[in-house]
Amino acid sequence: MIFNAVEIMTPILLAALGGLFAERAGVLNIALEGLILTGAFAGILIAAATASLLVGMLAGAAAGGLLAVVFAFFSIRLRANIFITGLAVNLLAAGGIPFVSTWMFGTKGVLRFPQLQRMPRLLEGVTSGINAVDSLLFGHSVTVYLAWLLTALAFVVLYRTPFGLRLRALGAREESVVLAGVDATAYRRLAIVISGIAAGLGGAAISLRLGVYLPNISAGRGWIALVAIYLGYRHPFGILMAALLFGFTESLAGAAQGLLAIPGTVLLGLPYAITVVAMIVYSALRARGRRHRRLIDSHF
Amino acid sequence: MKYRNDTIYWRALRAAALPALAALLLLTAPSLPGLGSRDAATEAGFSIAVFVPGVVEGSPTYEMLVAGVQRAAAERPGTQVRVIEGGFNQAEWPQSITSLAATRDYDLIVTSNPSMPEIADEVSRSFPDQRFLVLDGYLSGNSSLYTVQFNQREQAFLSGYFAALVSSSRMEHARPGLRAGLLAGQEYPIMNRVIRPAFELGLQSVDPSAVLDFRVLGNWYDAAAATELANSMIDSGADVILTISGGGNQGVISAARTKGAYVLWYDSSGYDEAPGIVIGSTRVKLDHAAYLRTLEAIDGILEFGSAEMLGVADGFVDFDTEHRLFERHIPQQVRSELAAMIARLREGDLQLEMPTRF
Repeated sequence: MIFNAVEIMTPILLAALGGLFAERAGVLNIALEGLILTGAFAGILIAAATASLLVGMLAGAAAGGLLAVVFAFFSIRLRANIFITGLAVNLLAAGGIPFVSTWMFGTKGVLRFPQLQRMPRLLEGVTSGINAVDSLLFGHSVTVYLAWLLTALAFVVLYRTPFGLRLRALGAREESVVLAGVDATAYRRLAIVISGIAAGLGGAAISLRLGVYLPNISAGRGWIALVAIYLGYRHPFGILMAALLFGFTESLAGAAQGLLAIPGTVLLGLPYAITVVAMIVYSALRARGRRHRRLIDSHF
Repeated sequence: MKYRNDTIYWRALRAAALPALAALLLLTAPSLPGLGSRDAATEAGFSIAVFVPGVVEGSPTYEMLVAGVQRAAAERPGTQVRVIEGGFNQAEWPQSITSLAATRDYDLIVTSNPSMPEIADEVSRSFPDQRFLVLDGYLSGNSSLYTVQFNQREQAFLSGYFAALVSSSRMEHARPGLRAGLLAGQEYPIMNRVIRPAFELGLQSVDPSAVLDFRVLGNWYDAAAATELANSMIDSGADVILTISGGGNQGVISAARTKGAYVLWYDSSGYDEAPGIVIGSTRVKLDHAAYLRTLEAIDGILEFGSAEMLGVADGFVDFDTEHRLFERHIPQQVRSELAAMIARLREGDLQLEMPTRF
């Protein structure tokens, strides 16, 4: 169950990390769904053409980044409404990919690439002696470890570099950053492109793991990634935990279907119910902590 | 300054207009006229509208439906066929069917889905002259409708019987203990009351202790989630999985390939999807049924108001045992036992009646 949870969370984590950069720069990237879809399509196409998963991953990231450039051009450069532009990008991906697919392969349905090599797994056979730890850490697809690495990288970039500081300041108090001479537009554009690259990578992770592309392969993961950004309190490690929570609850719901005599359709709502409860509990604990600190401060 | 602001707003407006227009086009594209496979019916001859509750491409069932109707039309000169894709939003289907009937352009509306008889029944009250041919559904007594139901109880039973034979064989991925999986895209009356129990009956007719692991994906497209569900089933001991989950089927194949298990296909021959992984396929000859009944409708001999049930004995439901990959991967003993069971159903020695009301 834990093993499956880690695999489930990976595309969500990648897209959410990207979305975090845009969010911290003050842009809500609602185009994540379309960016994932584009990355999934381009990733498997190029991987099949070059017979290289690595090139496929890079192509997925590049395609996501490229579409994000278009999104940034309309929303930042031309100052179009961010929601309309974001939705247009999602629709463009959902409508454009079947068009390209029909043009190239004569079908807008399932694209299978049986010759594609399987996604390699790392640290297979390594054991700590504790089952839960083994399931969490060892034997996963290479994209899982890549996502963890990028989580740490996102933390370093956002919290340990001048670029990250300016980006966060831009989202928190734009005027102060502009007064300091920072080009807010350029930073926001870059943040959107980073979110496109990461979401595209997430899409490629899905299609390359499956070895197929099919319509709607993103299946709402872009929207879940957006939720994960806020559930994770807009922090890379918080997002990691939020994505893991999503993965774990989905995995739990799947496993519970095989164990409990409760209708599967009911159990499918479990991830969302648990997530809402977790969010309420966490918010309550955080508020309580704040009150506690204020109380201590008032005494001194 | 004001002029500059106005310019910015105009720019923003213009910039927003393009994506908005693109979005509008994409949203409305499926409903635009002229996207059918052929032009609308002409005044002369017999005109048929094929209403596809979904999209044709990628759906073997609807591909068969369209092919069957077009084949019949090709044999009767002057017959016009237009294919209308209704999309995946089930709430829009009644309105789309009503719109089609309201045009009075079509002598016959052909469609296929278990939910369509009720929709056609409702629409026929407003348009009693409109004739409907509905496949994969059952409703009798309405003089505007002719429905054809396929015996999915026999179909699912054969799948379960074959799954049990494979699971208890010495095939490479067969494991001790008879446990098979069934992944459904969603729960619906025929799934819960016919397919699932019949699949389980098939399993237990080989070994009464056989266990069915039934899971629901929750949609018809999330292949990644289907992979994880299939992984979980395989981890629980299932070595054969029947998948009826649309796009999710690809996820089941991916899990079976990685973990070492077998997949069964439903409704159409799926061996070529993943040779050596997809090892069994039941088939419904919907194309042939659509062809025959459409031909009868054109000739004016189809008895509207009736409903028929077609099964193994009629030759409309079967197990694809002639595919080269089936012969290559399945041991002789399993093939023989399956053939014997198919013969029993065909000869009426074993009767599995399909309920007609849910």
